Amino acid sequence: MKSRWKNYRASDYYDELITAKGTPRQVARPAVKLLGELPEDDLDARRAAAELAIREMGISFTVYSEAGNIDRAWPFDLIPRVITGREWTKVRRGLEQRSRALNLFINDVYNKQKIFADGIVPAETVLESSNFKEQCMGASPRFGVWAHICGSDLIRNRDGHFYVLEDNLRVPSGVSYMVENREITKRVLPEIFKDYSILPVDDYPSQLYRTLAALSPRDRKRPVIVVLTPGIYNSAYFEHAFLAQGMGAELVEGADLFVDDDDCVYMRTVDGPVRVDVIYRRIDEDFMDPEAFREDSVLGVAGLMRAWHGGNVAIANAPGSGVADDKVIYAFVPDMIRYYLNEKPLIRSVPTYLCMREKDREYVLENIGDLVVKPANESGGYGIMVGPHVDKATHRKFARLIEKDPRNYIAQPTLALSTAPTYIGDDIQPRHLDLRPFILQSRDTWVTPGGLTRVAMVEGSLVVNSSQGGGSKDTWIVEGRL
Amino acid sequence: MSMLSRVAERVYWMARYIERAEDTARLVAAYNHLIMDIPRGTQPGWEILVRILDADVVFDEWFKVRNEQNVLRLLIGEAEAPCSIPYAVQAARENVRTTRDVLPDEVWELVNELYLYSSEAAEKSVGRRNRQAYLEQIIQRTQVINGVLRSTLCRDHSYRFIKLGQLLERADMTSRIVDVGASDFLAREGLAEGIEHLLWGTLLKSLSALGAYRRLIEPQVEKNAAVDFVFMEPTFPRSVRFCIREIREELGQLTNNKDALRTIERIRRKLRSFEAINFDQPALHGYIDELQLLINDLHGAIAETWFLSSKG
Repeated sequence: MKSRWKNYRASDYYDELITAKGTPRQVARPAVKLLGELPEDDLDARRAAAELAIREMGISFTVYSEAGNIDRAWPFDLIPRVITGREWTKVRRGLEQRSRALNLFINDVYNKQKIFADGIVPAETVLESSNFKEQCMGASPRFGVWAHICGSDLIRNRDGHFYVLEDNLRVPSGVSYMVENREITKRVLPEIFKDYSILPVDDYPSQLYRTLAALSPRDRKRPVIVVLTPGIYNSAYFEHAFLAQGMGAELVEGADLFVDDDDCVYMRTVDGPVRVDVIYRRIDEDFMDPEAFREDSVLGVAGLMRAWHGGNVAIANAPGSGVADDKVIYAFVPDMIRYYLNEKPLIRSVPTYLCMREKDREYVLENIGDLVVKPANESGGYGIMVGPHVDKATHRKFARLIEKDPRNYIAQPTLALSTAPTYIGDDIQPRHLDLRPFILQSRDTWVTPGGLTRVAMVEGSLVVNSSQGGGSKDTWIVEGRL
Repeated sequence: MSMLSRVAERVYWMARYIERAEDTARLVAAYNHLIMDIPRGTQPGWEILVRILDADVVFDEWFKVRNEQNVLRLLIGEAEAPCSIPYAVQAARENVRTTRDVLPDEVWELVNELYLYSSEAAEKSVGRRNRQAYLEQIIQRTQVINGVLRSTLCRDHSYRFIKLGQLLERADMTSRIVDVGASDFLAREGLAEGIEHLLWGTLLKSLSALGAYRRLIEPQVEKNAAVDFVFMEPTFPRSVRFCIREIREELGQLTNNKDALRTIERIRRKLRSFEAINFDQPALHGYIDELQLLINDLHGAIAETWFLSSKG
């Protein structure tokens, strides 16, 4: 093996490819061998080829900053993350179970609210959350499913087990990068596929189509599906276009749609209005319909909620789904699984302290230096405090924030995110990573084989979001014997 | 399958900008050739290109002196100037970026590569040394994009609006290229004397029309015959007449096409009576101006009928 790998020390975290003894894990062996045997200049050429492919394929995302919005090339690390099929099957079952329970919960919250009456979840934690949308009460989407697309963030802890960190039920993004990462690996490391049977990931758009088509209110062979985007300046615009194209659906902006007197949704085409059956919305529900939510929204479509309540159009994810995408509600998910499904949770959750509970709050304030504190409603890694990584002044600042608005904060133990070998300059070093699989649910449930692995490129950092300098890796679910 | 009005508008503009990039490159390349054939000492200025592209105002914003260097910097080197090649390519790319879902995958990749090339190589292609190679690259790459569109797009609305944009821009730019030869200053200064064959030969070449002209008309290029060819030749795909006829055909397949077809009839009437022999140079220049105004009206009618931005 070449020196770059020889010097690799997996530190004291769980490493995805290399054991504590410094030898490759069995499933990673052929990949590490191949990468290790490639001459350094060959490897560098392939890394350059990957970068060029990303630029030429125009895979990009937008970073919002004070200096203006920058379209950045997608950060990709050549070394794949490898997971065995056997292990993945367990994770997949856990995720399917979770998605079923979460959807039963959302449907319950907006209808009978049995879970409150039975004292499993305190009503006020839900009803006082800004994610609870009064406007959705009484709605009954098809199959009782509200969150049709869920992106759950998993991490692997020091004990080698996967834990769900959070469930993104509003407009989770990243799935296009999962598909493109595989595409890049195929282009620049074609030899490596000889030694593995890796579950393909490029099937996602057709699975998404199937999931959405099942929701159509009209019984047609080819329902009219649209992807509703806030537009070109959204950070995930690339993905919106990618998915629309993959499904053969129209990519629309608010101005392309209108709701007519018959409470149906139409799109403006060169041949006149065409009725829409299913809207895969990639805009926040608050901006979706100025009649029902924010009046000042220019991104949305007036009357959309009317059309949805009338059953004339399906919206995925249904408005209001975010009620289960809440870091406080997260703490109750294992209870929901037992309550609705009468099953034992198959995938672990992270122990969570709710600052709204007096006992939890006291514990959090006393141990704030050891904990990760998160606002209940932010996404994209914003507003998170990692106790051991910041100074006392920041601890005090967050303690004050918690005391002022306890409902809005939760805390969790600092997790030992697993690492994987990652190219850093000329060297290979361990970097922390997470994993975001996507769970689709309508008539049935489907989970992406693997998902998007995000890497914190800064040494020791746990922040993997691409908007904050994170990178990504191709993620392999490997079937059969090696 | 129908098409969103917004998408129709964007693919139309994508096609217009790609065609504009190609035709601007053709125009500059032709002039570049021409200038080298004109005897030293009597060389005309480069500002004629600025005038032909209606870029006087933009030029004055960026530069003071109208010399070769500045004109080429405006048309090649300044990605921010609305008349430059990199600007057109970037505008095309923005339009593709927002309509990727209706276009073949390769189109996005090719346009993106064209964008990277046109902006990265621009700076060093202003000077004479690399200029020609740059312009040839632009022409080649845009032709590849057009080829992919032709050979992979279904003949539905997306293809139709792409074709409308492309043909309309081409008719407009073809008339502008003729305007190089019709410009008053070449005649006034007697510069064209003795090199007229060369001049019109070069202009035909810039439209890839020289071979066809020689086969169909005569080997020696003569001014009036060349102008007639470029405007009126029914079999030549870059002639104004050809473009207008094809536009008319595409319009025929759209609903609500009355206004646009009426404008087409006005253009056809204007073309029908055309014969270069009846025009002296100032009159030809005036005729081209009027033709461009009509083409602009046609764009107005298309936008008014089918695009989102004019529906409010």
